Amino acid sequence: MIKGWSKGASLVMLALILVMTACSNGGGGNNKPASVGTDNQGSDSSTATTLSIMWWGPDARHEATKQALDIYSKQNTNVTFKPEFMAWDAFWQKLPTLAASKSITDVLQMDAAYIQEYVSRGQLEDLTDIDLSGIVDPTVISNLQIDGKLYGIPLSQNAQGIAFNKTELEKLSIPLPHKDWTYEEYFQWARDAKAKLPEGKYPIGDTTTWDFYNAYQTAMGKPSIMSDGGKIFTLDKESFMAFYQTYEEFRKAKIVPPAEKAAAFLENDPQADPMASGVVMTRGATTGSVSALEQLMPGNVGVVNMPVGPAGGGWAQSTIFLSVSANSKNKAEAKKFLRWFITDKEAGKALGLTRGIPINPDIYKELEPTLENKDKLGKEIYDLSLDKALPFFPTAAGFAEWVDTYKKEMEAVTFGQQSIEEAYNKLDKMGKELAAKVGSK
Amino acid sequence: MKTERAISSMQTEKRTKPKRKLKGSLHLAGYVFISPWLIGFLLLTLWPIAQSFYLSFTDYSLLEEPVWTGADNYTKIFTNDTTFTKSLSVTFMFVLFSVPLKLFFSLMVALALNKSIRGMNLYRTAIYFPSLIGGSIAVAALWRNMFGIDGYINQVLAWFGVEGIGWISNPDTSLGTLILLNTWQFGSTMVIFLAGLKQVPQELYESASVDGAGKVRKFISITLPMLSPVMFFNLVLGMIGSFQTFTSAFIITKGGPINSTYMYAMFLYEKAFKHYQMGYASALAWILLTIVAILTIINFMASKYWVFYESDGGKTK
Repeated sequence: MIKGWSKGASLVMLALILVMTACSNGGGGNNKPASVGTDNQGSDSSTATTLSIMWWGPDARHEATKQALDIYSKQNTNVTFKPEFMAWDAFWQKLPTLAASKSITDVLQMDAAYIQEYVSRGQLEDLTDIDLSGIVDPTVISNLQIDGKLYGIPLSQNAQGIAFNKTELEKLSIPLPHKDWTYEEYFQWARDAKAKLPEGKYPIGDTTTWDFYNAYQTAMGKPSIMSDGGKIFTLDKESFMAFYQTYEEFRKAKIVPPAEKAAAFLENDPQADPMASGVVMTRGATTGSVSALEQLMPGNVGVVNMPVGPAGGGWAQSTIFLSVSANSKNKAEAKKFLRWFITDKEAGKALGLTRGIPINPDIYKELEPTLENKDKLGKEIYDLSLDKALPFFPTAAGFAEWVDTYKKEMEAVTFGQQSIEEAYNKLDKMGKELAAKVGSK
Repeated sequence: MKTERAISSMQTEKRTKPKRKLKGSLHLAGYVFISPWLIGFLLLTLWPIAQSFYLSFTDYSLLEEPVWTGADNYTKIFTNDTTFTKSLSVTFMFVLFSVPLKLFFSLMVALALNKSIRGMNLYRTAIYFPSLIGGSIAVAALWRNMFGIDGYINQVLAWFGVEGIGWISNPDTSLGTLILLNTWQFGSTMVIFLAGLKQVPQELYESASVDGAGKVRKFISITLPMLSPVMFFNLVLGMIGSFQTFTSAFIITKGGPINSTYMYAMFLYEKAFKHYQMGYASALAWILLTIVAILTIINFMASKYWVFYESDGGKTK
C-alpha cells in the first residue's frame, strides 16, 4: 500500500522537478537581459534608464546608429539602450503587433508614409515641446505638424528624382535630361532616345505603381488620389487614360521593356537592377536611395528632378523621423535623446548620411568636405527638386490594400490581359468604397 | 476499461483503494510530465485558434479593438472578393499537379535507391543531402536565380539555340516553376517510401518469381499494394502541405506576375500583416481549414478502396 502510494508520489515529484528545471533553465536564459534592465531601472541608481529603440534600414545605418547610441551612453552614463533593427518590410510587419500589445519601443523610427496612421490611432507621443529652434527650419516643422502638433523629429531631407545612365547616354550622344523637364519633354525624350539606342535597351522603364502616376496627376494640377486622410478619393480619369495610353504606345514601340522583363527587375540587385544591368537608361531614385545605385555603377549615374507639370513636380521634404511611443515610461529621457540625435556633432559624424542629408545645417556643414560622390548625388536630387516640389503624398490610413491592388491591376494591363479603362473602373470603385469607409469612422 | 476495473475489484477487494490512489497519482504524474508541452499547446496553439475563430467575425486592424461584424467577412469572401477566387484556384492547380508529381517522382527515386548495389548508402546520402540544407528560403532564392530571365536554365537553353523566357516573370509559366520546385523537394517523402519498401517481405517476391512473375507484374501486384499505406500517408501529408505552400511563392514570385502564383496562404498573410485586416484573414484561415478537412475526409473514405493493410488478412477493407 505504502509502496504504491510512494511510487505514484515520487513520479509526480520527479515530473515536477524535471519541469521546473526545464523551465528555469529556459526561462533563466531568456530572462537575463530583462532582469538586468529592471535592475538598472530600479535599485542601482534612481535615474538609470534603459531606452528601447527600433529602426529599419541597411547594414551601414545599423552600424552607424549603434555607434551613435554608444556615444550617447558614454555622455550619459545613466542611459543604456536596447536596440532592435531590421529591414523595412520586417519593421512594418512587426510594428502593428507591438502596437496591438501596447509594447512599442520607447523610441522608434517613423516614416511619412505611415505616421498619419499611427498618430490617428494614438500610438505616438506629442513632441511639440522639444525645443528645435536653430536646429530645424521652422517652416519644415510647421509642414510636418499634424493638427498643430509634432509627432516625429525630422532626421533628414529627402527628395524624389530620376537617375540616368550618364556615361551611356553621352556615348550615344543622346541629350541628357535637364532640370524641370515637363512630362511632354520626358515622353518625347524617351521617343527620341529610343531611336539611338541599340536593340534590347530602353530609355525609360514601365510603371505600375500608384505613386508614380500620382506624381503625374498632381503635377497636372489635380488633387492627390487620396486627400484629407483618405476621406477624399480622386482618380482623375482624363489624366489616367492619357498617362497610361502613352505607356501603351511605348510598349508597342519598345520604348519601355516588355512586361515579362519588367516583372523580373529587382532594384539595387547587381544583376537584376533595371539600370545597373544596363537595360534601362533611367529609373526613379530618391536622395536616400541613389547612393546604392551609384555603388553598383560608380561614376555613371547622373540625376535630374521629376518631370514637372503646370503645378510643379516631385517632392522634397523630410520623410524619416524619430518618434516616441505614447505608452513609453521614459518619455522625458526619450525626448532628450531625440534632440541630441540631431544636434550632437560627434553623433552627426558617426551617423554620416546613413539617413539622408542631415536636417541640421550645422551637422551637414561639418560633413560636407568629407562627402563622397554617391552622397553628393543625393544632395543634388534634393537641390534640383526643391523649387518645383509638391508635397509628399503618403498612402492614407486604410489604403494599403488599394496600393497593392493598383500594382496588380496595372500589371495585368502591361501583360495585355485587360484594358486601361477596365483597370480604371476597378481601381476607382475600390478607392471610392475605401474613402467612404474612412469617412464613416 | 470499466469491465476490467470491475473484475480486478472483485478479485482483490482489499487492494482496490491503494490501487485507485496509485492510478490517480499516476495520471497526475503523466500530466505533469507532459505539462511543458500541454501548457504550450493550450496557451500558444489552442487559445490562439479559439481567438482566431472569434476574430473571424470581427473587423480587427491590430491597432484598434476588434469590432463585431457578424458573418460580414465570410459574406464578403464568398460574394465579393475576386482575389479569393483567384488565389483558391491557383492553390488548387498547384495541389492538383504538385502532389501526384511529387509522389511519383519520390517513389521512382526510392525504387532506384532500394537496389542492392555496392556503395548504395553513398548514393542515398548524396541524393537526400539537399533536403538537409532544405532551409527553404535558400532553396527558393536558388530557384529564383536558376529560372530568372538571365538564369542558368536559359543559359543552358541558349547552348542549344533555344531562346528562353522569363520563367518566373511570365504568368503562363510561373506556377509551373513553383510546382517543379515542390516536386524537386522530394527528400522526406522519398525517405518514407524507402522505409516502406524495406518493409515489403522478400518472400513475396521470391514466391512470385517461382510463379514466373516478371518485374512489372511484381511491382504492380506486390510492391504497390504493400506500399499503399505509405503512399496514403504521403498523399495526405503532401496535400495538406501543398495547400499551405507559402515560402516559394513569397520568395520567388511574390505571388506575381499578376497573381498567377498568388497562393492562398500568401493571400492570407498579406491580408493579415500587410493590410492589417486580421478579422478577414482569420476568416480566410478557417475557410482553408474547412477545405483541407473536407478533402482529408474524402481521402480517408476513398482510401478504403485502394489502401491495403496486411493486418486485414489480405483483403482491402
